[in-house]
Amino acid sequence: MEADQAVFLSAVGNHFLVGISRAMILFVVSAGLSFILGVLRVPNVAHGSLYMIGAFFAHSVTTVFGGNPLGFWLALLLAPLMVAAVSLVAERALFCHLYEREHLMLLLFTFALMLILGDLVKLVWGADYRSVTAPKILQGSLTLFSSPIPKYNLFLLAVGPVIAVALYLFSNKTRIGKIARAAALDREMVSAIGINVSWVFSFAFVLGCFLAGLGGALVAPTVSVTLGMDHDIIIEAFLIVTIGGLGNMWGAMAGSLIFGITQSFGVLILPQFAIVFPYLAVVIVLLLKPKGLLKSVW
Amino acid sequence: MLVVENIQKHFDGFKAVNGACLSVETGEIVAVIGPNGAGKTTLFNLITGQLKPDGGKITFSDEDITFLPPHRICKKGIARSFQIANIFHRLTVFRNVQVSVLSQKTRNLNVFFPSDRFFVEETRAIMESVGLADKDREIAGALSHGDRRLLEIAVALGNEPRLLILDEPTAGMSPEETATTIQLIKRLADTRGLTILFCEHDMDVVFDVSHRIMVMEQGRTLIQGAPEEIKKNPEVQRAYLGNE
Amino acid sequence: MPVASRKRILPVFNVLLLGLLTVIPSILPLFYIYIFSVIFVTAILAMSLNMVVGHGGLYQFHHGVFYGIGAYTLALMLTKTELPIWAGFLAGPFCAAFAGLIIGLFCIRLNRLYFAMLQISLGSLVWAVTFRWYKFTGGDDGIHGISLPDALLGIHRAYYVILAVMAVCLILMYRIYKSPFGITLRAIRDNPERCAAIGINVRMHQLFAIVLATFFAGVAGVLFVVVERSVFPDLMFWVLSLEIMIMCLLGGWFTFAGPILGAAIMVSLRTFAGVYTEYWTLILGVLLILLIFFLPEGVMGYLMKKIQPRKADS
Repeated sequence: MEADQAVFLSAVGNHFLVGISRAMILFVVSAGLSFILGVLRVPNVAHGSLYMIGAFFAHSVTTVFGGNPLGFWLALLLAPLMVAAVSLVAERALFCHLYEREHLMLLLFTFALMLILGDLVKLVWGADYRSVTAPKILQGSLTLFSSPIPKYNLFLLAVGPVIAVALYLFSNKTRIGKIARAAALDREMVSAIGINVSWVFSFAFVLGCFLAGLGGALVAPTVSVTLGMDHDIIIEAFLIVTIGGLGNMWGAMAGSLIFGITQSFGVLILPQFAIVFPYLAVVIVLLLKPKGLLKSVW
Repeated sequence: MLVVENIQKHFDGFKAVNGACLSVETGEIVAVIGPNGAGKTTLFNLITGQLKPDGGKITFSDEDITFLPPHRICKKGIARSFQIANIFHRLTVFRNVQVSVLSQKTRNLNVFFPSDRFFVEETRAIMESVGLADKDREIAGALSHGDRRLLEIAVALGNEPRLLILDEPTAGMSPEETATTIQLIKRLADTRGLTILFCEHDMDVVFDVSHRIMVMEQGRTLIQGAPEEIKKNPEVQRAYLGNE
Repeated sequence: MPVASRKRILPVFNVLLLGLLTVIPSILPLFYIYIFSVIFVTAILAMSLNMVVGHGGLYQFHHGVFYGIGAYTLALMLTKTELPIWAGFLAGPFCAAFAGLIIGLFCIRLNRLYFAMLQISLGSLVWAVTFRWYKFTGGDDGIHGISLPDALLGIHRAYYVILAVMAVCLILMYRIYKSPFGITLRAIRDNPERCAAIGINVRMHQLFAIVLATFFAGVAGVLFVVVERSVFPDLMFWVLSLEIMIMCLLGGWFTFAGPILGAAIMVSLRTFAGVYTEYWTLILGVLLILLIFFLPEGVMGYLMKKIQPRKADS
């Protein structure tokens, strides 16, 4: 009897660990969104599309390498870089000419980008389901507290905090990171000390999109890569950023955890309405703290 | 009529207004002067509720208005103009003034009748009194700078205020426009019996129109008194007018 | 063109247009009657959004939810209850307006982007519940084959009902546009701070605008059921909400009738581009970028500027 209970508890524990590992992907994506929001003050609607493209790029890279495990590791690096390149082109060619315009126009531009990128993915990769195989070391499960947990989820659990710390160090310790944070607070001041604000924005946008691509590459082995995977993630990332505090990286982490945990909780008690739980959590947070849990940068 | 007692406002530790006092009697024209950054605009924003004070008290007609929201303060009879022309730039000149009149008569929530039936006469009268009658169909955003400043005042007049607060009414105006505006202010005070509180950089204007003057420095009130008194005051001369 | 002559031409033009639209069913094939009905419904929806976005300056980013609530209210009343149909027709818009009031109450405390984000969150909650509540709303399948009374059966009859409702809605919206409230709303859009300084309770007026706009969105939702005889959760998906926004932009934010034009262009483009290519959203994206760069005031806004520069109709 007691043994049964222990097994049950550890199963529940592992269930939540998987939920948190999913939250790490949400974190990577929403941290990118939050970064763009913080510096440019634009909700990047195309973020989900870039995430989807990241997953497709990861698929292409691993396909090129066949079964070689190197392919996956390279995909983790190359896919986000390719996404960053796509966003750089879009930003320099079109987006950067709109910085002086109303916010609504900037937002609608990112919506246009989303529409275009979605169809471009259809053109390039078609509407089929694709999959990405994780390398051998990350396949299978480990037995943790006497119930199994997939190794890949453990990998994600490790990767999330690493990226969070890297982002923190980047934005607090490097010159360009500090400039970007200053630009988020006070544009005029940054341009007054002779820094080209347009380039700072460009950099922030591309970095944010890089993170979206990274999220896509990370998620690829756990889902079927297909059209439409952009729609759900973007709304989730939006909500996470909102409850975390617009532009606050740790807020994105807190929001992702709330999202991931409430979702796992929902699956346990009311599977049919599992997706409702995180939304409900978001609404409750926002009713209590309309501007998010942590301080917004602006 | 208006009494400001020891009002305070801090921005992140910076004391923009630090114990300013001011009194305005009915029918007076009172000027607030002081160097840039003395806190004149902040003081006005505190009186009309755009900012919430961190301390002190504001009473208007024996009523405490310190923490009322701007729209409630306006309803008490205080209207204001802004330093940077603060108008409805996509609406016509006529509509700009009409909105204000509608607000005064609390008809803003009427959804069923065309607004051309509301207070056309009143609106025209106000536009005539500031000299904008012939520009009624122009888009406010396309007006010249001087005309925008006049429209600013016209919008404030739509509220039929008892106290009119003007934040640098002649800023950026040509000498002729300045002269017209001063005439306008004097006329408003005479014909409508308005009490006027304004701040201004141009000392000729200040000593020309005001009955009493309040001098601000670093967020504090240095002195308030009649123009002659101010001119003679050694502290004011040292701090602001400069020793001539 | 002198203003006086425009004032005389406009009613004549409207009557002619209405006359033309009433004879359309007898000359065009069924498919086109259907397309026209869809355009009318979409036009009401776009007009209702523009009331708050174009005229109210609010970041109403999840307007589709209220459209969906209107449609679902009618659909559920028709399939789950025995109540007479007119009750459903009334309940749709009122439920939408009530939802607008509730969501608006929460959002109105916040400004611009925060307003938008909170509305997207609350709207997505409604969407998520609808999407999953199979027993009640039909979940992601929606409800199909809703039976309507005889008076609305057949696209011809539906067409006339929709045309009539649209005409009434447009007249009402025009009255609101021209009313003291309409002017106050546009003043708030231009300068909320100044509005507060002239004694206007800005938040209260914005909330009232949201309630009015969501009511009309509910009307559009009800009419959607009349045309399609089905409802599905995509009506409340955020992509639709942004598409409505594009219609307003396309037609012209700052004009009264612009969104009608925007809706007409979008619906026809989607229908006819859909015949030739499966890449409709690509076309829409490119169109949107062109609009943002070259026609930020929309087709109607551009024409108005050509006709009467510096004078405006407000």
